Amino acid sequence: MVGKNDVPEFVIEREFSAPRELVWKCWTDAKRLARWWVPGQFSWGGATLDLRVGGMFHYCMRWPDGRDMWGKFVYHEIVAPERLVFVSSSSDKDGGITRAPWFADWPLEVLNTLVLHDAGAKTKMRLSAHPINANDAELKRFVMAQPGMSQGFGGVFKQLDQLLVDG
Amino acid sequence: MQTDPLSATFSALADPTRRAILARLALGETSVSELAEPFDMSLPAVSKHLKVLERAGLIARGREAQWRPCRIEPRALMGVDRWLEEYRQLWEARLDRLDDYLREFQSKEKKRGRKK
Repeated sequence: MVGKNDVPEFVIEREFSAPRELVWKCWTDAKRLARWWVPGQFSWGGATLDLRVGGMFHYCMRWPDGRDMWGKFVYHEIVAPERLVFVSSSSDKDGGITRAPWFADWPLEVLNTLVLHDAGAKTKMRLSAHPINANDAELKRFVMAQPGMSQGFGGVFKQLDQLLVDG
Repeated sequence: MQTDPLSATFSALADPTRRAILARLALGETSVSELAEPFDMSLPAVSKHLKVLERAGLIARGREAQWRPCRIEPRALMGVDRWLEEYRQLWEARLDRLDDYLREFQSKEKKRGRKK
């Protein structure tokens, strides 16, 4: 049952026998993600990864019969080698968000927060996540709080202003 | 815009007052005024929370009686549990693969180091 103090959130914790820099690379380098990200029944169909706020990891999973499925992350916060916040979703081959085929109510987008800590020669990992709607005030606040993103929007408006002036 | 019931459920559950209201309703249906009592909150404030919970499918409000009893709707919470369970299975498997890859990669590095 739901208790007053249980914030409904998915949390998973692990400890890896590897230095934090290496674990970080496994999360942020497409060549390394290729080695562990997709389940065994799929093969790796390639990926692009643009590690900056607003950038995207867009990957392809190939079924044994040759059909392709895509997924993506959009990065919201990047603090190497300790914190990565990203919104994950199923996507089409152009990076548009699609409904995941797993089951009907599978969320369109999930906000994930990865935190890595040193633990001697090992690395402790904590991932928390919850479904999010892109229209949510929560996500908007979060995105607008990122200096990179507000600059990004500012840049767009500046271009728009220029077009209006030129026009 | 596609509808996404689960994200509405999670955002409704993110508020401690709404979770407390649900915890109270888990004991049985009740009226708005009875719900408001322990919270030191005005009736309109409680009604606002109830609307959010109702939209998220977490509660239903009776039309039969004047006092419109509130009751918990278990289906939305079951959806939350189901997603949490499936998401866990996905990540357990994924992190097992990451663990395997890290071991394999480091043992190769070690061997390479010895050869040098």
